[in-house]
Amino acid sequence: MVIPSSVDPGFLPRAGLDRLLDLLTADGRRVIGPTISQGAVVYDEIHRAADLPSGWTADQAPGSYRLRSTGTDRQFDYAVGPTSWKHETFPPRVPLTIGRRVNGQVTFEDAVPVAPLVAFLGVRGCEIAALLTQDTVLARGPAVDRDYAARRAAALVIAVECVTPADTCFCTSMGTGPEVTAGFDLAMTELDDGFVVRAGSPAGERLLERLELSPADEARTSAARSAVAAARELMGDPVPTGGLPARLSAAAESPRWAEIAERCLACANCTLVCPTCFCTSVTQVSDLDGLEATAERTWDSCFTLGFSRVAGGNFRPRVQDRYRQWLTHKFATWWDQFGSSGCVGCGRCITWCPVGIDVRAELLAVAPPPTELSDATTQIIGVPGPERIEAVPGPTTPALLTAMTPLSDAVESPTYSRAFVAERRRETVDTVTIRFDTDDPDLLAGRPGQFVMAALPAFSAAPISVSRFHPDGLELTIRAAGAATRAMCGLRRGDSLGLRGPMGRGWPVDAAEGHDVVIVTGGIGLAPLRPLVDALFAERTRFREISLLYGARSPSDRLYVEELSELAARPDLDVGQIVDRAGPDWFGRVGVVTSLFDQRHLDGSKAVAFVCGPERMMTATVDVLRDRGVTDDRIFVTLERHMECGVGLCGHCQLGKAFVCRDGPVFSLAEMGPAFGREGL
Amino acid sequence: MIRGSQSGSLRDTWFGARLPEVQLTRLEALVGSASYQAGAQILREGDLTRDLGIVVQGRVALRLRVPERGMTTILTVEAGEIIGWSAVVPPHRSTSTVVAVVPTDLLLIDGAGLRAALDADPVLAAAVYQSLLEAVASRLTGTRMQLLDLFTQHRDEPW
Repeated sequence: MVIPSSVDPGFLPRAGLDRLLDLLTADGRRVIGPTISQGAVVYDEIHRAADLPSGWTADQAPGSYRLRSTGTDRQFDYAVGPTSWKHETFPPRVPLTIGRRVNGQVTFEDAVPVAPLVAFLGVRGCEIAALLTQDTVLARGPAVDRDYAARRAAALVIAVECVTPADTCFCTSMGTGPEVTAGFDLAMTELDDGFVVRAGSPAGERLLERLELSPADEARTSAARSAVAAARELMGDPVPTGGLPARLSAAAESPRWAEIAERCLACANCTLVCPTCFCTSVTQVSDLDGLEATAERTWDSCFTLGFSRVAGGNFRPRVQDRYRQWLTHKFATWWDQFGSSGCVGCGRCITWCPVGIDVRAELLAVAPPPTELSDATTQIIGVPGPERIEAVPGPTTPALLTAMTPLSDAVESPTYSRAFVAERRRETVDTVTIRFDTDDPDLLAGRPGQFVMAALPAFSAAPISVSRFHPDGLELTIRAAGAATRAMCGLRRGDSLGLRGPMGRGWPVDAAEGHDVVIVTGGIGLAPLRPLVDALFAERTRFREISLLYGARSPSDRLYVEELSELAARPDLDVGQIVDRAGPDWFGRVGVVTSLFDQRHLDGSKAVAFVCGPERMMTATVDVLRDRGVTDDRIFVTLERHMECGVGLCGHCQLGKAFVCRDGPVFSLAEMGPAFGREGL
Repeated sequence: MIRGSQSGSLRDTWFGARLPEVQLTRLEALVGSASYQAGAQILREGDLTRDLGIVVQGRVALRLRVPERGMTTILTVEAGEIIGWSAVVPPHRSTSTVVAVVPTDLLLIDGAGLRAALDADPVLAAAVYQSLLEAVASRLTGTRMQLLDLFTQHRDEPW
C-alpha cells in the first residue's frame, strides 16, 4: 500500500542535494547518512553531499565485502553495509538508571533519554522494515524502551530506494523491498541526473514543499519505477517463505543444527549487524568507591555463552543451541511474539559472517519448502505496522499467552522504588529470608508466583521471587549465589535496596478451585510457592485435598523449617519431605522428590499441580503427574531463565514463543507444548 | 530384632500379589518376619545378605560410610518396598548398611531357599525376576536423579 501524498513527486537535481541537507540542518537536525569509512559504506554524520559515497558500490558475498568504483557520480549505488540505523535509534550503550548510596541508603534515578533531532538519509526499504520491526518490539508495549521511543520520535526518515542490490540481498522474499511504500517521511529514487522525490508523511510534505522542486515528469518517474523493478527482478525470490515458521518449528531436532555449528564461530557478528536484533544486557558502570553507579543498557547477543546463563547452569551451552535459537526466533517465533518476521532480508548477516554462513541456504537446508509450492500456499511475509502487513501466516503455536497479571504503568519506567529491611532470618548456610517494608502500591499488589528485580547500586539487578506478601511489605528469600545476592544477604535491619515489579505472571490460584492441589518443589523452589500456599489457606474451602511435596539436598538445606513443621501438623494439608542425602540424625525420607508420590493416592482427573524446582526435577515430576492422569492444562510450572530487564525487552529469557519474565514465569504445560524440557532452549 | 514366623501376609504385598497362586504358596513356605526397633541395624555393608525383605511397616535407611563424613543415608525404603535384593543376585553381599529409622516390620524370604526355588521353577523365576527388576530399575532411576545433585548450591554467579 502506497501512502498517498497531496504533494506531487518532484525532481531533485543531484546538485540540489546540498539544499536538502541545508534545510535539514536549519531545522536543527543532525543528518546521518552513508559515507565511506574503513573500507565500507557506513552510516555516519553527513555535512555536505560530498560526504556521500559518490561513485562507489560494494561487491558482497557470504563472508565477503569489497568496495568497487562505479565510475559514475551516483551517490546511492551501494547495498547496505555493516552499520544499520539501530546504531542511532538503539545505540550500543545507553544509560538506564543511576544508583547512589547516600547516608547509608540507596536511591535510584532514571536516566533521561537524550534524543536530539536527527535525519536519516538513505534508508532502504528493508531498513524501514527493520525500524518498524524494532518499533513493535521496543515501543509498542506492553513495556516501552523510553530511550528508543524518544530517539525514534526525533528521527526523520528519508528513504532512497535500492536499485543496486547485492548478491546477499533477499528483501523480495521477506516482502520488505526494494520498493519503499510506507514508514518514511521522504522517499527518493536515484536517477543518473538526480532524484525523484515523494513525501510519505506530513513532515515529508512540508520538507518537499520547502525544496521547491519542479515536478518529476513521467519519463523520470517511469525510469525510477523501472530501476526499482529491475532490482526486484535481479534478486528473484531466494527464500521461499510459505509456511516457513511452521517448517522451522518442525525442524527443531534437525541434524543440520549440529552441522552448522561446526562452521559457526558463535562470534555474534550476525546479531550485531542485524538491524532488528534487540537483545541487551545491563552493565554497571561504577565509580571507584561504589557510591554511584550507572546501569547501562548494552547490546548483547544470543550467540554469547553468557547470554542464557543462570545460577548453576546454562540453557544453551552448545553453539547449535544458539544458532537454532537465533534462526528460529528470526523466522518463526518472532511471528508469535510480534506478528511479523524478525528478518527483513537485508543480507548483512550473510556478508559479515566471517565464515560465510548463508542464512538463505541454511533455511532451505533446515526447513526445505514443499517441492510443489503453489501460489495459494505462498504467504507474503511483511513487516509490522497495520499498513505493512499484507497477510499473516498462521502462528507456529497458539497465540501469545494472555498476561494473567497486566503489567502496570510502572514497568514502563526502569525506576526502582526503595524498600527497607524490617526483619531478616537465616534459612540455610547461604540463604536468608528478608522482610522488606515498602509503600509502593504496585509491589504490595503482587500475586503469588510473581518476582521482583532487586537492585543495589553497582551490582547487577537480580530477579527474585516474592516468598510472602504482607500488607505493608513483602519477603524475599535470597540465596548468596554471587556478588549481588551476597550483598543483599548481608543487608541489616533498616538498610534499603531498590525493587522493581512485581514482574510476570504468577500462579493461577483460581484454576485450582474445586480441585485437589499438588504442590511439588525442590530446593529454593519452595520460595515462589510459599505465597501460593498462603493464598490457598486464605480461602481453604475453595480447594479439596492439598499436598505439599518438598525435596531438598539435605535436611539443613530446607527452607522455612519451622513453618513446614507447623504445616505438617495441620489436618487439612499433607506435607511430604524428602532429601537427597542425610546424616544418621535424620528420620525422614531420603531419595528423589518423585518417590513421595509412591505412597500417595492421586486422582489425576481431579488434581491441579504446581511445580517449581530445577528443570530436570520438574520434568521427572511432570512424568509422574502425567502417569497419574493430570492433564497438561492442569500442570503449572515456573521456569527459570536468565533475566536482565524483567519486562520482555532484553531478550535473554526467550523460550520459544514466550519471554519467561513477561509471559511467565508460570506456564501451564499445555501452553509450553514441546518447548518444556527440550534441550538447548 | 524380634524374629518370628510369618506375621504379615506375602499375598498382601504388591510383590506377592503378582505371583500365580501355586508359586505364591511355594514362596510362602520360605517367608518369615522380623520387627526392629528404631535405630536397629538390619544389615551391614558387605555382609552376606541372607534374606530378601519387604517392608511391611516402618522405614529403613540405606547408609554408606563416607570417610570423614560418617554414615550417610542415601535412600530410605518405605512400606511396600524391597530391601536386600542382593540375597538373589551374586555375590549376595549387602551393598549398604540397612538401619530401621522408625519401628519397622519386615517380611523376610529366605535367600537360599528362594534361589533354589527360582532355579527349579521357571514360572516363579519369571515373576520374581520381573518384580525385582522393576524395583531395582526404579531405585536406579532415583539414584541417577540424586547423582545429578540438582539442588546443589552454586556460587560465584554474576548476580
